[in-house]
Amino acid sequence: MSTSRVDVGDRLERHGATPARESTPSARAFVLEVSDLSVHYGVDANMVRAVHDVTLNVRRSTVLGVAGESGSGKSTLVYALTRLLRAPGVISGGQAILNVSSPDDPTQVTPVNLTTASERELRRVRWSHVSIVLQSALNALNPVRRIGREFDEVLRTHRRSLSRSDRRRRAAELLALVGLEPDRLDRFPHELSGGQRQRTMIALALALDPELVVMDEPTTALDVVTQREIITELAELRSRFGFAMIFITHDLSLLVELADEIVVMYAGSIVERANAGELYAAPRHPYTLGLLESFPPLHGERRELTGIAGSPPDLAAESVGCSFAPRCPFAMDRCRAESPPLAPLGDTGRSVACWLHTEHSVVPVPAPLARRWTVPSGPAAPGVSR
Amino acid sequence: MRMILRRIGLYALTAWVAVTVNFVLPRLMPGNPVQTLIGKLTGQVTPNEIRAIRLSFGMGFHEGLLAQYGTYLNQLAHGNLGISITLGAPVSSILRESVPWTVGLIGVSTVLSFLIGTFSGAILGWTRGSRFDSLIPTATFFQAIPYFFLGTVMLLIFGSNLHWFPVLGAYSANVTPGWNWAFVGSVIRYGELPVISIVLSSVAGWMLGMRNMMITMIGEDFVLMAVAKGLPRRKVIWHAARSAVLPSIANLSLAIGLVVSGALLVELVFNYPGVGDLLLQAVLNEDYPLIQGIFLVITFTVLAANLLADLVYLGLDPRTRSEAAV
Repeated sequence: MSTSRVDVGDRLERHGATPARESTPSARAFVLEVSDLSVHYGVDANMVRAVHDVTLNVRRSTVLGVAGESGSGKSTLVYALTRLLRAPGVISGGQAILNVSSPDDPTQVTPVNLTTASERELRRVRWSHVSIVLQSALNALNPVRRIGREFDEVLRTHRRSLSRSDRRRRAAELLALVGLEPDRLDRFPHELSGGQRQRTMIALALALDPELVVMDEPTTALDVVTQREIITELAELRSRFGFAMIFITHDLSLLVELADEIVVMYAGSIVERANAGELYAAPRHPYTLGLLESFPPLHGERRELTGIAGSPPDLAAESVGCSFAPRCPFAMDRCRAESPPLAPLGDTGRSVACWLHTEHSVVPVPAPLARRWTVPSGPAAPGVSR
Repeated sequence: MRMILRRIGLYALTAWVAVTVNFVLPRLMPGNPVQTLIGKLTGQVTPNEIRAIRLSFGMGFHEGLLAQYGTYLNQLAHGNLGISITLGAPVSSILRESVPWTVGLIGVSTVLSFLIGTFSGAILGWTRGSRFDSLIPTATFFQAIPYFFLGTVMLLIFGSNLHWFPVLGAYSANVTPGWNWAFVGSVIRYGELPVISIVLSSVAGWMLGMRNMMITMIGEDFVLMAVAKGLPRRKVIWHAARSAVLPSIANLSLAIGLVVSGALLVELVFNYPGVGDLLLQAVLNEDYPLIQGIFLVITFTVLAANLLADLVYLGLDPRTRSEAAV
């Protein structure tokens, strides 16, 4: 699988995007470093702030889950950091750095600033280093092309040395990875089932052995059985090939299982970031708690499903204070006046944007947000970035 | 394959209906064309001539309607469309004279207009919002002007005044018709101005149609994916254009179907010897066999063009193929 990354890395250096430097430890550890990224839609008076000062890092070979309800800015975030944002979306601040590792020496990484990269640089890193899987595979596959052609196109563009039969063989190999027969290559997208199409997309995303795969609600359009199969396959593929993943979904229960680290987004900002197990067992932000209580646990005692009252805020309206305050059962006066920053929570390695958890808060933390969490055994899970 | 046969069968049925309507219609008119004709000749006809006229309409003397129908179909099968009343020549040979002119002129213009419009439409769709957008109102302006006016003005300015193009007719009087370079060159030279005027007046439709489909396609996920895959820009455009062109192809087939009939104004303005001119003469002179013959030719072209479009569409859009298989 990793045999053919050589020529792309070479090309990258030859064209001299940024010379390979003595890698900093953080560049080696993280495949993607996003800092203070903001995205706006539209201009001037009609401007909507869709993503606000988002900072996150994706550690190599780990899964970062991004959870949030519709309109929380989670898709906008990934489109922005892969520079796939369409007009009228504009990146209005911050940066996203992709640390492209050299194929010969994994300790050598070349940082590529995705927010400022030229078309040319972007084309070089796209798919070779970052690939993407969208929610609807039916729409993502060109309806008038056979499946085989999609693979052929990607391989021909980025792996010029491969012959036609090599490309065909590689495509069949990739389909086999996701459990599809090679004869699917001669089919059109509409001739496959929904699950087969999404598997095809995943195989396509892995075609060039990327370091980072972005999955935008890849299983949302599928039934739960297929969803489960695909999640299991993804986990296997990741441990086999070691790519990192950003997995976006509104289904927090899915993330708890798949992700190493989870960020929860609300109204364009990150409200909580934690290790997956910790987030599930001991949520700290009222919104996370609300999300967790809106689906039933599979094990343990039965509890009432509550959901979250109200609806997400209108991003076009200028708001003061915490954007979740109007829906928050624990809202205080301060919440309506000041917006809480995303701050580290003691030395737990997790962060939360909530006034309840500030050090000198006079209000006691409500019981559901103060559950204890103990790491089962061994060191902290690898997904925690800070 | 079964689908193709089914389509062909359907078109054969439609053709039969058209032929039958063409047979029945004159017989449903008050009186009949034969009587109109005899009336026009004010009694100076011999019974033999009447018989000849009746035969030319496919109506034998003492035959029932069914037998007449049989005769009509039989004649049709042999390419016999009757005799033109005003021109006195077989309708089929008259048509053979005029159809190639119209098909040549309008066919070339239609295809040119399609190619130019679709190509520029794809570019306009891709670069929407740029300064190229001003091409659209310009093109629409020329489409909005009534054709006879546009044609006449162009003829006046570029033909009569500036003498850039020859005027009137399909070829110079100094060349002998036939397959020789002088004649073909002359035909092309005389065709330039009509072709330019037709393209100018029809290109906006293609352009707008393609531009709008292109913008729709750019919003599709598979185009976003093409960008995400790091494909070169022309390949991304091609992804979008390949799908955006499908409705234009369907329209092209309709336009080609109308090539034979839609040329009346052009032929009048440029005095071009085509079917449109012929049809006008036939209608003015109540030349029923000729009218019938022209209608039949038009019907068959439309049907053939539609069949062709269906087949091309099956080739271009795999989704129509699978629906067929079910």
